[in-house]
Amino acid sequence: MARLIRVYEKKRGHRCTGTGKLGSAGEMLFFGGVFLIGCAGLVVTFAQVVIPEWRVNHEFIANTCRLLDARVGQLAAEDGVRYRPELQIEYQLKDRVYRTWTYDIRGAYYPGREEVEAILERFEVDPVNPREYPCWYDPADPSVAVLVRGYTWWYWLLFAVPVSFVLIGGGGLLYGAARWGRSAERVAAWTGRAARLDLFQSGKNGDGEYPATPPVENVTNSPGTRLKYRLPILASPGWPLFTLALACVVCNVVVAVLAGIAVQGHLSGDPDWLSTLFVIPFGGAGLVLVAFFLRQVARVTAVPPTLLEVSDHPLFAGGRYRLFLSQPGKLEVRSLAVLLVCEEEARYREGTQRRTEVRRVHEEEVFRREKLTIKRGATFETVCDLVLPSAVMHSFQAPNNEVRWGLLVRGRLQGRADFQRAFAIVVYPAVERPAV
Amino acid sequence: MTPPTVEIRFTGNGRSYRPGETLTGDYTLSGVKPAEIKALEVSVLWQTEGKGDEDMAVHFFERRPPDGDGPAAVRPGGRFSVQLPPSPLSYQGLIVKIRWCARVRIFLNRGREVVGELPFRLGDVPPAHPATP
Repeated sequence: MARLIRVYEKKRGHRCTGTGKLGSAGEMLFFGGVFLIGCAGLVVTFAQVVIPEWRVNHEFIANTCRLLDARVGQLAAEDGVRYRPELQIEYQLKDRVYRTWTYDIRGAYYPGREEVEAILERFEVDPVNPREYPCWYDPADPSVAVLVRGYTWWYWLLFAVPVSFVLIGGGGLLYGAARWGRSAERVAAWTGRAARLDLFQSGKNGDGEYPATPPVENVTNSPGTRLKYRLPILASPGWPLFTLALACVVCNVVVAVLAGIAVQGHLSGDPDWLSTLFVIPFGGAGLVLVAFFLRQVARVTAVPPTLLEVSDHPLFAGGRYRLFLSQPGKLEVRSLAVLLVCEEEARYREGTQRRTEVRRVHEEEVFRREKLTIKRGATFETVCDLVLPSAVMHSFQAPNNEVRWGLLVRGRLQGRADFQRAFAIVVYPAVERPAV
Repeated sequence: MTPPTVEIRFTGNGRSYRPGETLTGDYTLSGVKPAEIKALEVSVLWQTEGKGDEDMAVHFFERRPPDGDGPAAVRPGGRFSVQLPPSPLSYQGLIVKIRWCARVRIFLNRGREVVGELPFRLGDVPPAHPATP
């Protein structure tokens, strides 16, 4: 018998079958709970922090009191003992004398005893002839009085916690309410309109002239020296090298500290063989990292930067363009080639993992030169044609799927590791357009 | 009693369109009384299929409320017309596929929904094959 209601049946990642409304209700329940917790937190924080301090500064009445005694109040907390200043005062209202231990309205405890003692030193306790100090008492309950007024601004940081709960919960509730009972098409139309209103979108891509295509500004904002645009290189080696260097430094500093402790133990005649044995493999790993880093640096700096320029951009399927390639020396090149490539990229969730799969669907050599010697200080330069096929998919970009065009400069070197550099281009669908 | 269905037809029985061309079609509802219909949505959209998680974007969307006498009111049948965009073109890739369709969704009383869909091709990009270096 078929089930009347599918609560939740997971197929893969975000693809689910089942009851959308039940899922939305669950989401809204969750965000509603978060919102309510935030609201309750706001109310409590407001009542505990804002209102008492505001009343002290606006409603409490000024008076004078006699200081009788002073002490450091203590509270045993989970993370140790906490302290607060406590001063015994005596003040008279009409015919009644009030005596109380007080300081400020918060009655907050401090982590350091010295801080509290510094506060108490500002007050002079004289048991024989008590000194007079200004105080402020609560007209609603005259037995409540304080010796200091003002606002504790850092205390207001406490609001960050309930406010973040209110924002997250409220945002989730609004989003859920906006989607509630609405079809996927209606939500998509709504989000599409919102994306078009995005002030940061230049309008030259995405949902502008050519919807679902990648932005072209990264290319067109860099003018070329020979041709119109200089193509940006993809996957610059700078960040991977920096990350590797950081890993090298951290690993070797830790090893150096541990090795220092172990050596000190040996020198003082009290060797710790366990820590010594522990340091040896880590020291080896540190050295391997250093060697790998130096090898990568040598590999990156061995081939000077490659420059690739194009006569127009964005490119159109079926269009003919000019390419300018510049490769400085010194290099002994077995072959140097420029390839036009197109790859599909699909991103998906598998369980909790985010996975990416790339498949190349087009690869075409647009330039090739065999056996080339580029001397130190010299630069190999060439201009070649770039003809894009007409019956191909254009560049496409969506959150989870992409069709990506690019140019690869691939060099096979004599006696050294080969190199490959990738440059991004954007290809639009074929149109009736004069060749450049 | 026949179950409620939506049938969509493109004018001229065309299933392949060029970017910028106007897609015109009509839909007919059957097995449903006009009084049962709460609202109707007509949309022209693309969505991805294949290995990646699904992406979707709506190029044309119109919601027709049940009451009112205007052209947007719900009727047992209706027409729609929309100029198609220059991209993204329909594509049969290896792991990325882009599929265009016209979709009519009827909201009936008691929370029931009926969806009719008719795919079409935008552009004439041939299917992709693995690259041979």
